Amino acid sequence: MSESDFDVVVIGGGSTGTAVARDCALRGFKTLLLERDDIASATVGTCAGMISSGLKYMDEPEIVDMCSEEVVHLNRIARHIIMKNPILTPILELSDLSTGGNFAAEYSKRAESRDVPPVMFLEPEAALEIEPLLNPDLISSLYFEEYFIDPFRLCLLQALDAQENGAVVKTYCEVIDIVVRDSTVESVTFYNRVTGEIESATTKTIINAGGPWAHKIAAQAGATLDLRLNKGAHVILDRRVVNVGVITKAVDGRMIYLFPHENTTLLGTTALDTWEDPDTLVATHDEIEYLLKSIEWIIPSIREARIIRTMEGVRPLVPTWKVPEGEVTRGYEVIDHESEGVSGLVSFTGGKLVTCRHMAEAATDLISQKLGVESKCTTHELPLPGMESDVDVLSIAKEYDISQHALERLRARRGTQIMEILDLVKEHSNWRTTICTCEPVIEAEIRYSIRNEFPQTLNDLRRRVRLGTGPCQGTFCTYKAAAILADELDLTGEDYLVDILDFRAERWKGIRPPMRGPQLAQEEVAQGLYACVGNLDQIETEYDPKPWEEVG
Amino acid sequence: MAGLAAGTIAAENGLETLMLRTGQSATAYSSGAIDIIGYPPEGLALKEYLPDTEVPFKTPSDGLRAILTLFPFHPYGIIGFGADDDKVVESVIAHVKESISWLKERLAGSCAALIGGFERNIYPITVLGTTKPTCLIQETMWSETLNANPDNVLIFAGFRGHAEFNALSTTRAYLENQLRTGKPPHKVGHCVLEISPFGKPYNISSIELARHFDHDGSMVDLAAAIKKHVDQLGATHVAIPPVLGIEQALQNKAELQKELGVEVFELVALPPSVPGFRLQRAMDRTFKNAGGTLLIGHQARSAIFKNDMIESVVAQSPRREVTISPKTVILASGKFIGGGLEADENGIRETVLDLMPVTTNLHPAEEVRPVYHTNVFSLSPDGHAVLGAGLAVDMDFRPIDADGVERAKNLFCAGSILAKYNYSLEKSGLGVALSTGLAAGRNAARMAKEVS
Repeated sequence: MSESDFDVVVIGGGSTGTAVARDCALRGFKTLLLERDDIASATVGTCAGMISSGLKYMDEPEIVDMCSEEVVHLNRIARHIIMKNPILTPILELSDLSTGGNFAAEYSKRAESRDVPPVMFLEPEAALEIEPLLNPDLISSLYFEEYFIDPFRLCLLQALDAQENGAVVKTYCEVIDIVVRDSTVESVTFYNRVTGEIESATTKTIINAGGPWAHKIAAQAGATLDLRLNKGAHVILDRRVVNVGVITKAVDGRMIYLFPHENTTLLGTTALDTWEDPDTLVATHDEIEYLLKSIEWIIPSIREARIIRTMEGVRPLVPTWKVPEGEVTRGYEVIDHESEGVSGLVSFTGGKLVTCRHMAEAATDLISQKLGVESKCTTHELPLPGMESDVDVLSIAKEYDISQHALERLRARRGTQIMEILDLVKEHSNWRTTICTCEPVIEAEIRYSIRNEFPQTLNDLRRRVRLGTGPCQGTFCTYKAAAILADELDLTGEDYLVDILDFRAERWKGIRPPMRGPQLAQEEVAQGLYACVGNLDQIETEYDPKPWEEVG
Repeated sequence: MAGLAAGTIAAENGLETLMLRTGQSATAYSSGAIDIIGYPPEGLALKEYLPDTEVPFKTPSDGLRAILTLFPFHPYGIIGFGADDDKVVESVIAHVKESISWLKERLAGSCAALIGGFERNIYPITVLGTTKPTCLIQETMWSETLNANPDNVLIFAGFRGHAEFNALSTTRAYLENQLRTGKPPHKVGHCVLEISPFGKPYNISSIELARHFDHDGSMVDLAAAIKKHVDQLGATHVAIPPVLGIEQALQNKAELQKELGVEVFELVALPPSVPGFRLQRAMDRTFKNAGGTLLIGHQARSAIFKNDMIESVVAQSPRREVTISPKTVILASGKFIGGGLEADENGIRETVLDLMPVTTNLHPAEEVRPVYHTNVFSLSPDGHAVLGAGLAVDMDFRPIDADGVERAKNLFCAGSILAKYNYSLEKSGLGVALSTGLAAGRNAARMAKEVS
């Protein structure tokens, strides 16, 4: 048992939790962030990374204003991990033109502040020139631009910046009890999954940023929280099959999208109410076909693309019931549980990736008030690590003899931090070796990440460096990266083999549901490596079955 | 492997033999180890019906007996279909045994010369530090004495900048296993060597190292680099990744052993591997030496059927289409890697002749969704059933349709296009390919002679 006196304990290391931890730390509060798994391992880790201007929520102008303003803030603090993507919304039916017009007017009002052009209506020829895969029967197309952020890096940078400013960040620590005395929170008890020990920390306040588990966390303090859980699936294609994002109407009239994302393309998303444990969910056949059928009208050749995997996440929506998911506000609520006799506990419902900083500001203001101190939010002004300056990829590629492509990918993840990684290459010239060839990822980045970004598993490394996210889904890099992880963390041989099994399991979770086409040959190869030759299917290890395996 | 074995035996039987191949075969991507049978497809069934059989199988013959008892329609079982009921097992064992001898003879003295035999399964060490049951392995990849003496000291030697092998992790995984089982060696160390074939100490691939070591005199530096570690640790054995050369590996191994005064052997690498490449090369030469013609870069695309015979096969290359009119055809197009099978969300398809694929349970597979034939666990002793899909055949290895009738009297098939076995799980890949390739090749040869 360890005892520490914190001003605030933040529970949950997603986009909101890490933003709260950063805000609290920057305001000088003694902060502890507890995450039961890894940073960005659940809801935010299954999103498309769009920091939307709120285009889907034109009926809620105050939300659109907030989203738009947050985009400006994020571009100020994290430009290095943000990309701007053009988006086409092709129109196949005349009746859709008027909706498009309303959207164009709302969007264009706020365009200048975000440094994007107002919405344009394109002739079919112009749209087809930008994206030749479009159905040539389109009658018009909207053109606009949206920003996309690397959601993993955003969360990690927020956590690292919190740490830099004095917060204690603990991953793999699952809260198992919240002690309330005299109607006020007193401490949290948590199970440390790395050490296997039960620890506790005393605190004045707790912010519950548990996302789809927030109601369960609230219950540990005897508080109640209603959430509307809604699951969404993405289908991931092996490359950037489209030049630009495409947004269109799904089979049921909802909007869905196809976004080029890093080296892949994301097709998403579904929206279905769910009561399942989010840890056990995988995409269903119906969700996959819903997405493919929906996009097929506008990209007729979509089924020729190679599907490499799916991912499934759960949105913790504001609990508005008896309306379709699309009519639930995309705003958020900060809930002070004091009204029900649990003082010091604050929870969130709702929210979006783009508003995570805003949510943190609101909650931290409330905490500040509870702590009885005056404080000022600076999270929209102070840059996140790596934003210090621009990076000249061409000249460092020459200097360090590393491919421009690898370096540009590295820069897109890390901004100026790239120089710290290249410093490692100076000392160890063999660390230029490409470990994940799909992405690509060099050994130096993996070693740097292990030393500075507290990953415990290969899957944690995937979130930090995009290991194993390409077409081969880690077939060829799993064992190579496992050896590096084992070396840096001084793991036993058993742990090295279990790390390989764990990552294969995690990749398979997403590969399996859409299984078709070339991915069958890919899996035959993967089985050839790890089962046929490695014999990892037959030898006994201390592998723990995963939640989705236990129900599957 | 199946095609090369079938083609070679047909050519050796005096037939004019043509082999069509798109590019590298799956054999070239393999580890090069010839597995006969290591594990049963359903471990629980084995425990129930044959409780005395040890798993992994101690000998190929134990394994074949178990497989034939529990899974008579396994490709190994089909080999024995023509025999009398009480002689099925013995006839299969005799055929597999003979296949092994046949292959060892053909590859003797080649860059893929083999060691091992039908009398036992052996357990070579992989680059992960695990061991796997196999039957034959290239001579460069085996040490008979490693596990014999408790005082043996083994060094795993890796190369800096060669990500395909990490000596430290392998050492730890292997050593822990040795300590758990109590088997020697108990003293295991590792070292990292600085050899950069192209002057750069990074992004060094196995094939580059192997090409480099094919050059005369390349062992001098390597021996010197290993020597100090051998002396320091008092090593009796040195294990290195399988990169000792493409053509010169055996000679290089001998030279290293002479220089170092200890035993040196290569590990089993994950695909794609240099030994797999050596094996394909050596097999290609065997086929050509037997008089066969190899047409690489040509993909068989379709066939013209007349009555119950294939009249001709159409093959496509990037620049031309060729039509070949053979007396018999052997389809050894492989599974998903080889391209013999394809699947989408609605079913599985045989790609060349549009034959009827079946599941591993021998039900038609044209309308099965692949995901329903997979396991929720990525790696488990149950494997993934979809990898057991393929073609159903008659006793002569002729593909059959839903009524059990062969598609063509002169069409045979062999290797991983066959249904009802999962080679990754069973550790039976090249063994089934070899045995069924020889069987199908002989059947085709017999028929071709009858026709003429």
